[in-house]
Order: sequence, then C-alpha cells, then structure tokens
Amino acid sequence: MRAFGYTVAGSPAEAVRIAARTPDSTFVAGGTDLLNLMRDGAEAHDHLIDVNRLGIGEVALDRRRLRLGATARMRRVAEHPAVRREFPVLSEALLASASPQVRNMASIGGNLLQRTRCGYFRDSASPCNKRVPGSGCPAITGHNRGHAILGGGDHCIATHPSDLAVALTALDATVGLLGPGGERAVPIADFYLLPGSTPEQETAMRPGELITWVDVPRTSVAGHSRYLKLRDRATFEFAVVSVAAALRTRGRVVQDVRLAFGGVGTRPWRDLRVEAALRGRPLTGQAIAEAGRLLVADAKPYEGNRFKVELVQRALVSILSDLGGLR
Amino acid sequence: MSGLVGQGVARVDGRAKVTGAARYAADSEVPGVLHGFLVMSTIARGEVVEIDTSQALAHPGVVAVYTHRDMPRLVLPDFPYNRRFIPMQDARVHHNGQPVAYVVAQTLEQAQEAANLVKVRYRAEAPVARMEDVLDEAFLPDMFRNRPNEIARGDAAAALERAEVRIDRTYSSPMQHHNPIEPHTSTAVWDGDTLTLYESTQGVVFTRNVVAHAFGMGRDKVRVISPYLGGGFGAKGPTYPHTLLTAAAARLAGRPVKLVLSRAQMYTSNGHRAEYRRRLQLGATRQGVLTAIVDTSTAQLTRIDEGIYNGSDSTLHLYACPNVHVRQMGVRLDLPTSSYMRSPETTAHFGLETAMDELSYELGIDPVELRILNHNTVNPRTGAAYAGKHLLECYRAAAEAFGWARRHPRPGTMRDGDEYVGWGMATETHTYGWIESEVGLTIGLDGRATLRAATQEIGTGTYTVLSQVVADELGMPLDQVTTLLGDTTYPSASLSAGSSTMPSVVGPVAQAARSAREAVIALAVADPRSPLHGVPAEQVVAEGGRLFARGDLGRREGYRDVMARHGRAVEVLGRGPNTPGHSFGAVFVEVRIQPRLGRLRVSRVVTAHDPGRVLNRRTARGQVIGGVTWGIGFALMEHTLVDPDTARVVNPNLSGYLVPVCADAPPVEALFVDRPDPESEIALGARGFGETPGTGVPAAIGNAIYHAIGRRLRDVPFTRDKLL
Repeated sequence: MRAFGYTVAGSPAEAVRIAARTPDSTFVAGGTDLLNLMRDGAEAHDHLIDVNRLGIGEVALDRRRLRLGATARMRRVAEHPAVRREFPVLSEALLASASPQVRNMASIGGNLLQRTRCGYFRDSASPCNKRVPGSGCPAITGHNRGHAILGGGDHCIATHPSDLAVALTALDATVGLLGPGGERAVPIADFYLLPGSTPEQETAMRPGELITWVDVPRTSVAGHSRYLKLRDRATFEFAVVSVAAALRTRGRVVQDVRLAFGGVGTRPWRDLRVEAALRGRPLTGQAIAEAGRLLVADAKPYEGNRFKVELVQRALVSILSDLGGLR
Repeated sequence: MSGLVGQGVARVDGRAKVTGAARYAADSEVPGVLHGFLVMSTIARGEVVEIDTSQALAHPGVVAVYTHRDMPRLVLPDFPYNRRFIPMQDARVHHNGQPVAYVVAQTLEQAQEAANLVKVRYRAEAPVARMEDVLDEAFLPDMFRNRPNEIARGDAAAALERAEVRIDRTYSSPMQHHNPIEPHTSTAVWDGDTLTLYESTQGVVFTRNVVAHAFGMGRDKVRVISPYLGGGFGAKGPTYPHTLLTAAAARLAGRPVKLVLSRAQMYTSNGHRAEYRRRLQLGATRQGVLTAIVDTSTAQLTRIDEGIYNGSDSTLHLYACPNVHVRQMGVRLDLPTSSYMRSPETTAHFGLETAMDELSYELGIDPVELRILNHNTVNPRTGAAYAGKHLLECYRAAAEAFGWARRHPRPGTMRDGDEYVGWGMATETHTYGWIESEVGLTIGLDGRATLRAATQEIGTGTYTVLSQVVADELGMPLDQVTTLLGDTTYPSASLSAGSSTMPSVVGPVAQAARSAREAVIALAVADPRSPLHGVPAEQVVAEGGRLFARGDLGRREGYRDVMARHGRAVEVLGRGPNTPGHSFGAVFVEVRIQPRLGRLRVSRVVTAHDPGRVLNRRTARGQVIGGVTWGIGFALMEHTLVDPDTARVVNPNLSGYLVPVCADAPPVEALFVDRPDPESEIALGARGFGETPGTGVPAAIGNAIYHAIGRRLRDVPFTRDKLL
C-alpha cells in the first residue's frame, strides 16, 4: 500500500473543498472496504479525507421520508426502531450484510460505494476493465459464479455487492450529493450505471462529490417488505442471489409491489416490467412465475452462474409467497 | 498418581493465549530487525527476463531488493522440503505466485509498497491449469517417500468381474487451502556463522534440518524457535521457500529480517490439497460382503513434483476385503506443489465412504450394518489381530445416541415443515505416525519440574497434555510443572503433523518423569537428613508434590525439601519407541434441506471415536469439533479457484475462499470409547487421534443429502446450485 496523506474534515463543505484541491484524493468513513482495496492494490489514493465528523450521521423519520445520514453506521440503521417498523427490508438487508464487527464500522455512504467482489478486479496482477480500462475481462471465460446474468456485456459482468443498495432500489430511494458544483439529488435508479464499455464508471457521481444522505420515501408498501438473501454459507458472505420485495395487496389482488435483485445484475437490479406484470392481478403462483420469466427473459448466463437463472425465479416465488401469505 | 491424565484439564496456556501474553513467532522483538516482502511472479510458466529494481530501491526506507542474481547458491534439500526447486536460484518460473524478488526495508509498509514498484519482465509460456484438459496424460508416479503408488492384494479385477453386486462411480474434490489464521512468518537472525529463526512451524527440528542442509551448515549452527502456532493444518509441516529466502536475505543484508506472508501469498507458498478425481469400483455378495475394491485416483501434480499427499489408506485397511487394487495416478500442471492438508486421507475416504453408502442402497442393507459386516480385525502393519480396535463399539454408541434406529431408509421420507431431513453416516479413520523423540526433564532446587521437548503446540493442547503426564508420573500438582516446547535447543522430538505428537512424545515424557521420580526418591532414601531415610525406594510413593513411605504416611517430605538439601538439579532424558497405526470412529449427520432454494444446513452431528486412551477429554473433544467443522467446509464450501488461462488463484483470501463460520457449525455430541490400546502401551495406551475426526464428515453429509432428497452428489463442494 502506497503512503497516503490524511485530513479530518469538519463539515461537508470543507470535505468537498479539500477534495477539490487535493489530487488523487478520496473520502473515507469506516474504511472497511477502501483500506482493503488499497492494500490489495485494487485502488490507490494519495490522500484520504476523513468524513466521520461532518455531522451527517443522523437517522431521522419525518412525515414524508426516512433520512439516513451518509456516515450513519450500518448497525445503527439496522437496529433503529423506525427502520425496523416501517422499512423492514432495509433492516433485514443490513443485518444480512458482513459481520457485526464490520457493521459497527461501515457507513451507509460507503456501503453504497463498495466495490465488486470479483476476484479479477481485486487482484492487481489480473486484467480487469473496471480497474484498468481496456485490459480485458477474464471473468467472462474464467470463474464467474459470483457474476451477473443481467446487465453485463463484453467488458464487464461484475455484480454490485451491496445488499442495502438492493433494498434501497426497491424502495425508490434518493441519494443526496454535495460537490464542487453544489448539492443535488439523484434517484437511486439513476445512481448506478450499467457497465457498457466503461465499467470503471460505476455511479452517476461526479469527481469530488460526496454522498451526504440517502432518503427513503414513506409509502404504503414499505412497511410490508422483506429481504431474502441466498449465499454459500450461513453468514458473513455476499449474495449468490438476493431479493428485496415490498408488497401491498387488497383481497388477493396486488395493489403495489416493489422488487429489486442482488447477485444477478451488474447493478442492483430492478425491472419495472416485472412489477407491472404483477400489479392489479391476484397474487398466484402462476402470476409470480410469469413475472419471474419476464425478469430473466434477457438473461445472459455463463458457465459458472447458469443456475442463477432458475434460482432467482425461485427466490422471487419464495419471497412473494411469504409476503403474500400464499403458504 | 493424582489421576490428571484422562480428565478434561483446562489448557495450561489458555490464559496466555487469550490475554495476548503468548508470544507467537511474528511477535518476536529482535533489535535492528528489517522487514521483508516478497515479489511474486504474475506468470505461471516461463522465465524472468529482466527485473528493474530502480524504482523500488528509490522508495523511502528500502535497504535492498534481491533477485536471483544476488541470492547465495543454496543446496536443494530433500523432503520435508517438497518444492523440488528453490525460488530465486535461477530465472525459471514454475508457477504463478512464485517469489522472484525479495525486498528489505525499514518498515513492513515500505517493503510492501516497494515490492509493488519492482518491475519484472517475463518470457511466458502457456500454462496448463486444468486437470480436465490433461486427464488423458495421467500416469502412475514412482514411489513417494518409499511408498508405491500401486498396491494390489488378491485379484481385484477377477473378483469384480464375478461379483454379484457392483458399484462403479466417480468422485471428485477440488483444490483446497489450509488457511491457518496465523500467516507463515520467519525472522532470521545471524550471529557470525550461527542462525536463529523465529518461525511458525509444525516442526522446529524439520525446519532446522532443512535450513542447515540448504546453507551447508552444521545442524548445531541453526536454532529454530516456535513456541506457539496459530494453526498449521499441514501448511507448516514441510519447510517452505520463504524461510530459506529470509535466512538468505538476512545474511546478505547483514541485519535480522522478518517476513510475514500476506494472506494472498499463502495461496501459492505453502502447499495445498491437490484436486482429485477418483473412480471406485466395489464388488460384493448379495449378503453384503465386499469381494473387491478397485480405487483409481488421479491427483493434480506439477511438472517437477510427483508427490501423492492424499493416500488411499482407508481403501487398503478399513474393510476386510480380500481383493483390493489401489492405483494413485497423477497429471502434471503448472501449479505450486501440493502437500499434506488437514487429515489428508479424507480426500480418498470421501470416495470410499460415499461408495459404501451407494452399495448399501444397491443391496438394501443398512449402511451401518454393511460396515459391520465388513469390519476388519487384522492390523495391516502386523498381520495379526488388532489388540485394541473398538470401531464396532463406535458404530453402536453413535447410532444409539443419534437415534439411527428411527431412520426410514427410503430417501425423501423424512420431512419437517418445508425441509427435507436426511440422516447419513460414515466411518472415520486416519493413519497416525511415530517419529523418534527425546525429551528432557529437570527437577529444580525449588522442587518444580520443567519438561523440555522440541515438539510443538500446534493448537491441539500439547503443553497441557504433556504437563498432565508429567504431573501424574511425578505425583506433583499441575501448577508445579512447566512444559517448554518449540525450540531446537531442547531434545529433538516429533513433528506436529500426521497425528504423531502424542504417540511419539507421551512415552518419552512418561519415561522421563518416572526416571526423575526414581532419582529423587533415591536421593531421599539415601539421605540421613530425610524422614524417608532407609525406606526401600520401591516403598516410596509420590503424591501432591510429596514423597511418602507406603504404610507409614507420617514419613514424608516434599520434592522441594529433597532437592534443596541435595543442592543440584536432577536432569533426566526420556525416550522410547512406538509404532504408527490408525484411529477409528463413526460420524452420524443430520442435514436439513429446502431444495426449492437449494438451502442446506447441517443441523446435528454425533460422533463416537476410538483413539485408544483419551488423555484429555476437553482437548480431544476440541479436536472433534474442529474436525467436524472443517469437514463441513470440505463438503459444502471450500474450493480454490484457479484461472484456466493464467493458472493464477482467483480467490486468494478469506472473503473469496469460504470456510465455515460459527453459524455453519452444528451442535456436536462427541463420544469416546476411551480404552487404552495395548499396542501403544508406551504412550499410556493413547494413539494418535488429531486427524481422525472429520475424515468421514464429507461422505456422511453427502450420504445424508441423498437420504434427504434422493440426489447423489459425488463432487464436492456440495453448493446450492447442485441441490436445486
């Protein structure tokens, strides 16, 4: 790991100012992913700006929305009574992430910006279009069990590893950013980018921008939500397939449904056609199966992840059956 | 005798370990030490053409960057150095992740970053990375460590042909890595022509011998110190290049050098369990009597090493079958040399015990019954009946505790809510070794005992168990016994591998303690100032740190009284031979599966083992829990991924290489037969045991999966996609 400078910023504006005048700098909160990436040589920065003392760690609920400050710790959000009561999918997604030790340290903003677990990305001696644009993607012909069946291409098939991001995607969250050009808010649907031919560009963030908050709207559906995570060991492991779901029914008819998927897409995956196929219809095994088929209609599986095409459909059946009381 | 042996005595080093007082190898504080870091090859096959060290040398704090051009010429040691080459002796690259340069700097961080700045240019050749690409080139290697790779008994082919019932199946297991939590580390300190190494090694004596050989030094000029290990699992059994390179770098630098391998470097530096394919053919009568076993395996070898580290031992000795044919083949790949890894025989045993389950279904005979029918009573080493083999009792005890009698044999018949419940079992067995050992015991002027032995505390409880033996034989409280291990200045004792520490060392320790007791008693009865003066020595007993006259307990005094008067410490040596052998057991496993999502958990495990005499119930149970947990890892998740094009490990870290976590570990009920084995009398009836638990777990889990959902899995790891 290269030696780096370190500054503790006192306010969001100051953090952004320091970033603007410091080349090759980045922000650090819990450091649970960034420092490993730097040790492994997958990222290199000359300067880290500590954002832990900016006063942006609040968790607050008002009439319209839940606000998660960017430096709120995963654990605090997961255990917050309002989050558990009104947004159970967020709490479940967070508690299914990492380990208690990591959750004590890791921040909400950092969670959204964690990098893919692709082994080729994390090994600085391997080619990787995300790490070194144009160097190639060995995952396509190599080991790709953890990789995407949706949203990939010839340049990159890496998945985004965040469980929280999947849950936030289902709930139409908005990401608040502060940068040299001022404040702006980006809907989470526009926040993560498809890799296309520029997989190094993962988000809509502009250079020098800092996540300051994440807002989750209060809706009639969020309170009846769940997160289902399937992985290769009981805990402390990333998703092979995950589903965040929120459902509101009247009688058996679906009034509203929100679905997002992890482990299968190059970004937290939401497909409005899948929700539309369910909305206004009675929630039946057949309806869910049809929605699932829509979800994977454009899937492009590889040797190591072919099973995800089937597994993600079954996961959808499982979570909606539970939420809808089908069994 | 105070009767400590056999009890669940708490670890004597437990407090030191949990408080951080125990000093592990990398904790050694050596004045003036420099920090080393290795530069690893990024190709798997070819040659180093050019190494540009200028940027690295310019980095702050860097003292030197050594390459193959600088390194002293070393002599290639034989086993237990098993690499067949020493890196940085020439430009050749044999595998990805091979050391090609060695950076020495003032701090670890400086060395690490400078290593990133070393620019290496290669002439690369295309590597062969995958077994399946070269299976048609499989060959039968020559003998390995005096063991042939083809062993035949009777006429297996003919017997198989004639068999009334036949099973013919193929099994596979992937490349796996040991992953001890403590990384490999070496600190080399030269003082003139003598070398001291602070190592994390399973064998200080082995390491000393290898290093002395490589450097052309007398063994008395090398001292290796390794008081504690943070796990080894075989990865620290053989001696590896990083140790030789660190000693060489320290000599070149003229300063002590400390090296700690990174986790990623541990995936190419210290061996691994080879990937295996195995075809098993079983022949049996309709009544279930085995008539033939043909076990043909293919292991991942390298272009320069033909070592078969995972022997098909249980095929040869576990069941009474007159016709057996074992062939241990291999294919050559451009990967690092494999090695022994935690219970190496598990690899073959997984196939055998799965095939036995398949045979039981073919025959309609209960799997426990089938094993009892084929129980072997003949010790293959002696050709005579085992003097103390209680495997049948293990089957009975574990089956009863598990509730096996309530099992409906038909797959898919046991349900609990949306879960399918499966019950499976397997026999457990592993070979243990005997390595000639000597120990020294001193009774000091304070009457306390100090044991010295150049064996190791690998985490299994060596300090504790040896202290128990000393205390019992001396009739002394445990807190008056100090055990010192892991230093080649002590008498040369067993490697802590191959389950050989206890069978090799307990005998010499007991003998030394008996000699010391007799010596102190002799001093007492000969001393007119002693209350015991004139008592016949054989009439003196020792207990609680005191010596008593039998029948006249008023005549007594403490060890300390005798020693203080005597004024000179009593020093004795202990030694004595034992023989290698096998330990046995049975493991019963319950799995719960929700096939819709491929969800599986191991919900309950019951074991019963026959390790001869149990020396410490608590540490023995610890071995069982650890073995079962690693067995779950083998069965369900462990898998080293190698890129097919570059032959480079893709998941060289504990995030990508999954091992079980607490939430994967079920409750384990560990039963012991606990009867001394007359064939290991010198070791108080205890046999080697450490590697036995876990050997049957992968097969037992696979067998339970079959019982739960009727799907026979033959390729580990049994991941979720295989259960859908």
